[in-house]
Amino acid sequence: MDWTAIRLLYLSELRSALRERSVLINGILIPLLMYPLMMWVMFSAILFVTARTESFASRVEIAGLPAEHRGLLERLEEEGRVDVAEVDALPAAAAAAYRAGIEERLLADDLDAALIFEPAAAGPPGNAAVSLLSNGSSDQSQTARGRLERALSAERSDWLDRIASRHGLEGAEWQVFEVESDNLATGIEMGQFVMGMMIPLFFVIMIANGCLYPAVDSTAGERERNTWETTSTLATRRIHIVAAKYLYVATMGTVAGALNAAAMVLSFRTFLAPLLARMGGGDGSGFAFELPLRSLPVLLLTAVLLGALIGAGMMILAAFARTFKEGQSTVTPLYLLVVFPVVLLNDPSLEFTPPLAAIPVVNVVLLLRQAIAGNLLWLQLGITMLSNAAAIAGCLWLASRVLRVEEVATGAFEGNLFQFLRRQFHPSAR
Amino acid sequence: MSTIQVEVQDLSKSFFDQSRGEVNAVRNVDFECRSGEIFGLLGANGAGKTTTLRMISTVLQPSTGTARVLGHDVLREPVEVRRNLGFYSASTALYPRLTARETLTLFARVNKYPAERTKDRVEETIERFGLGDYAGARIEKLSTGMKQKVSIARTVVHDPPVLIFDEPTVGLDVLNALDLQKGIQELRDDGKTILFSTHIMSEAERLCDRIAIIDKGRIRACDGLEGLRAATSRHYLEDIFVHYVTGNDDTADEPK
Repeated sequence: MDWTAIRLLYLSELRSALRERSVLINGILIPLLMYPLMMWVMFSAILFVTARTESFASRVEIAGLPAEHRGLLERLEEEGRVDVAEVDALPAAAAAAYRAGIEERLLADDLDAALIFEPAAAGPPGNAAVSLLSNGSSDQSQTARGRLERALSAERSDWLDRIASRHGLEGAEWQVFEVESDNLATGIEMGQFVMGMMIPLFFVIMIANGCLYPAVDSTAGERERNTWETTSTLATRRIHIVAAKYLYVATMGTVAGALNAAAMVLSFRTFLAPLLARMGGGDGSGFAFELPLRSLPVLLLTAVLLGALIGAGMMILAAFARTFKEGQSTVTPLYLLVVFPVVLLNDPSLEFTPPLAAIPVVNVVLLLRQAIAGNLLWLQLGITMLSNAAAIAGCLWLASRVLRVEEVATGAFEGNLFQFLRRQFHPSAR
Repeated sequence: MSTIQVEVQDLSKSFFDQSRGEVNAVRNVDFECRSGEIFGLLGANGAGKTTTLRMISTVLQPSTGTARVLGHDVLREPVEVRRNLGFYSASTALYPRLTARETLTLFARVNKYPAERTKDRVEETIERFGLGDYAGARIEKLSTGMKQKVSIARTVVHDPPVLIFDEPTVGLDVLNALDLQKGIQELRDDGKTILFSTHIMSEAERLCDRIAIIDKGRIRACDGLEGLRAATSRHYLEDIFVHYVTGNDDTADEPK
């Protein structure tokens, strides 16, 4: 092997690529900045909407409030930003018409929420059936409902305490059991679960994206620019030229994948963790997005395997195109073929079994998911490496067969890979 | 005594074309080129000049026959052949995103020019072709004339003994074309063997020491200008060319 020529050509391809805006955007900037930017926008939007919602003054109407529950009005006043209109108890005959009127006002956005008390036939004074009416399609109404629920729940609890105390009972005697829920997963484990679901999916997409432009540019693009003939007069074997180009494509895919994974972890830590904590009303200790150290080599390995495999596949297809545009449309089906199953694989219950480890691309996604969760399944890792290495070797063998044919190398072949294979197996078919 | 640098023997090329069927582009071509001479391939468009030169430069493989450059066979030792020649044609473009200096360094190194002397050789080539002010600019930013200079510079930067120029003046204005012709003569004076193809009679007349007239894939005549004049009793190359290419009933370019 002429390693000097391969190195020189590889570096020259890389240098060229890094001066090309599309490569920089697709291979480096998008993988690196897309997720931080997306999450920052999402984070800001949610904060904005939350702040806006919290600042609304809720328009609330309360009908038939029993004297025993006047405390509810004080609670709503304490809650702040609640404008209460009170209506006296209604006779049974007018109740249905009143309720219909309230519903109409809620749907017309004239009112945010309403509480209707109907005295119960039995029970202690103040016992009532309470209807809380709101409009689920309105943010303001949802906020008003939340404010009423909080105040109502506190009022109910106080009222029960007062009744129990009148009967000589203390809280501990009538509140017979309390439910305490305890999530045994640590914040790190929960973070790893979320990352395991999201990172592999975007990882594959970004690697395919990272490979696409270089694969087309170094084959069809070279033909379109008329530099293929220039390259083929270099004093090195054609296979070395192809090897340099292939290494360049695989490098760009691998780099795109690795950058994307790093950017996603960083985005999760910086934006998603505080967002989840805020939405959950927690103290920020709910989710911790940290990659286990031992998953890093697996992440790199999977990036290399995928970059090498997708890059080889794309180069074979693009080798038949004569223009960049033609190259893009030739390669797009492979892009979809790679990405589509990955979307289907996003089922957390899917188990990474040895048979699944034999399917290229699928195995890489599942291996990565396991690695992010901190599990290394050595048998599956071995099978994954072997199956991908075999697929890469197959692609490279096919690439060498394809590019050995002068018509394909010079761009004179009119057809695609399938027509080429047909002609190989049936030489009379033209 | 000049030595034979390029030998072409019984060289043929046929290929399949969807619309025309099997095409014989070059048929049983024989010639030799010696050191320090400009050997011209003169022919109309589609006569087989480019295909012949592409086979000698190993871009295409011959269907039958062979060619040798400094004794290296194009089929058996293509890398050695490419190392010993520089191939230039209007269709061999440059890498747009590299600078002229980077391009020359790449071609010198991959074409096995000694690594320790590459830097000096590149600077010397830049100087020779007057590229100094533009050597650090990307090729895509250069004018057509300047690109063409870089193209020729990359053809000669590894100092090959044999140079192939396939219709090099196509698309150039008169001044640039004359400049290029002058450069080719200087290379000949440096002792290089030059294969030069053209369909422009005046160019062939001015530059070539020997001329092969090619028509429908076959060499019809091959001699110095004086020899061709003597053989045809015609003075102007245009008349000599017409003499050789008219009246041939070959159907080289037509479907079999």
